[in-house]
Amino acid sequence: MATRRALIGGSIAGAVAAPWLRPALAQEAGAGVTDTEITLGMSAAFSGPSRGLGIELYRGATAYFQHVNDSGGVGNRRIAVKTYDDGYQPVPSVRNTVTLMRDDQVFLLFGYVGTPTVTRVLPLLKKYQDRRMYLFFPFTGAQPQREPPYGDFAFNLRASYGQETAGLVDNFLSVGRRRIAVFYQADAYGRSGWAGVRTALKRHGERMVGEATYTRGTKFTSVMRQPVEILKGVNPDAVICIGAYAACAAFVRDAVDLGLRVPIANLSFVGSENMLKLLTEGQEDSTRYTDLLVNSQVVPSYEDITNPAVIEYRDLMARHDPAPPADLVTEAYTPFPHSFVSLEGFLNAKLMVEVLRRMGDAPAREKLQDAVFTVRDYDLGLGERVSFSPERRQGLQRVYYTVVKNGRFVALDDWQAQFA
Amino acid sequence: MKVNKLFQKTLFGIIGLFGFIGLSTSVLAVYTVDTHLSEEYLSNSRDIAKTIADSSVDILLNRDLATLQALIDQFLEIQGIKYVYITDENGDFLAHTFVPGIPDEIRQSDPLSLETVERSLPGMGDFVEVASPILAGVAGSVHVGMDTGIIALKIQRAIGQQVYLIMIVFIGSVFAALWLVNLAAKPVGDLFAYAAALADRRKDDDSAAAGVAAEDGEPAPGSVAERNDEVGQTARLMLYLARGRKLPDPPSS
Repeated sequence: MATRRALIGGSIAGAVAAPWLRPALAQEAGAGVTDTEITLGMSAAFSGPSRGLGIELYRGATAYFQHVNDSGGVGNRRIAVKTYDDGYQPVPSVRNTVTLMRDDQVFLLFGYVGTPTVTRVLPLLKKYQDRRMYLFFPFTGAQPQREPPYGDFAFNLRASYGQETAGLVDNFLSVGRRRIAVFYQADAYGRSGWAGVRTALKRHGERMVGEATYTRGTKFTSVMRQPVEILKGVNPDAVICIGAYAACAAFVRDAVDLGLRVPIANLSFVGSENMLKLLTEGQEDSTRYTDLLVNSQVVPSYEDITNPAVIEYRDLMARHDPAPPADLVTEAYTPFPHSFVSLEGFLNAKLMVEVLRRMGDAPAREKLQDAVFTVRDYDLGLGERVSFSPERRQGLQRVYYTVVKNGRFVALDDWQAQFA
Repeated sequence: MKVNKLFQKTLFGIIGLFGFIGLSTSVLAVYTVDTHLSEEYLSNSRDIAKTIADSSVDILLNRDLATLQALIDQFLEIQGIKYVYITDENGDFLAHTFVPGIPDEIRQSDPLSLETVERSLPGMGDFVEVASPILAGVAGSVHVGMDTGIIALKIQRAIGQQVYLIMIVFIGSVFAALWLVNLAAKPVGDLFAYAAALADRRKDDDSAAAGVAAEDGEPAPGSVAERNDEVGQTARLMLYLARGRKLPDPPSS
């Protein structure tokens, strides 16, 4: 009888208190998770000369999240992305992260853009390690989030800058271009790529023949005569740029104009479509600045319509045509129908959803890491399988190389024919 | 403001003295501030270089160069620091903050030297560069360049404030001296006017009209001879001499 009374009493109390209990239950399920929503936090460049990177990454991810939400979400929970603009600057990035963690109580951090920003955010994750806050799939190939002491707080999908630069160096050397010079952004990102080139050259018994730098945030309208003259003075066979599209496009333009006619390579972070647009817009000869360009990529060409992931990406981008976050994008920007950056954002989102699904009906931060480690030989549709483990915190390893043909970036298959 | 001739030399002497005090204080202030601030900036630079060197050990041995670059980039936010570079034990550059490239002057210098040097880099300015060894030098060295232009500007500003204060005191002192000298000179002028009036009375024998004496031959009320000081005594002496009579008693104070 007492048990029966207690049950009835408990049911009545539960029914009465239910509306007030719901938030508490939601808290138990995990911060950033409610009965209807899972909130991810994103700080990226939505303003300034590198805004194209943040916008396209966001658009690609949004295309997939929208598709999942339209299909019922993950465990009947919609995926929402709380976004902030950091302008690709470290201090706002740190401030945004504190807001996302403390005030917005997001479930996890997702899709951050840039090395100088991410390297400053990583110590925050260690500081708040008791909250089990993880950074998923940042748009940077730098080492700090891939190795101790901060590697345990991040999961990467893309190949590293070390892999990209090693591939570029190996290929240039294979076609006899041994005098490699580097043009790089004077910050942690630039140094990361610079170190990659240096290490790769060292492996072949070579040294960098020259280097020049630029300040982060440099615009396309800036004159790059000085760095071009510095590199021209060392007579390089090829130049590897580690920068963002505006500054690298300005460098390529001035290099060609000042007679530095050697292959100029860029890493995936550059934002190839934005770069191509700057170099070809308003040009009578659209190949003037692009015929010696070679860009490494960490995703396949979005023109490769034999690739299942690319087909799905193109389909969802066309169907949803995701808009940039209107409250953050205040400067003029025309989105691209397709781009390497938005494809990467799309793949990031696809793997993110898979990880969330693997946590079951009650997502909690405590389960996140274990859920990621269950991803073994997972097929994103790329042809390259994705695996994670405590020793492997980077999903993809492959690097692709692209050159400009007919106004588009296409796969480079034959380095000998192109650059020998 | 007209100054009595008798006190002009005194006034000029006082102004000269104030000027000398102001000038010597300024020179001393300039020297002291310049020396102390320069030493402080240099000391801070050495501390910063040592801090980077100490922090770099772990990064160089266990981490990557991007982390090292992120570390030195943060120090550029400190006012006065214009460049930082780190070399390994062979003198190869591992990280630096130069844009658009490492200046030739620095490339050509000995990167292993830990001496404090003054550099003039074309297009960048004048710097004092301090260095600190990493792991007693076996892992390389950190070099920090402080902009001497900014240091000089800071010192000039500090000195300027001191000199400004001294100038205000000096100008205030000159006006105070003028006022005090005139205060002292006024009775002498009154005495001169009294003597002149006394002489006029002797000429027309109308002391009351001249305002120098009363009808009874005593000093006129309100005249300078009423004063209870040396000027009053001199005026009364003049009046006595003019009348050929006994010196009048000074007024009871």
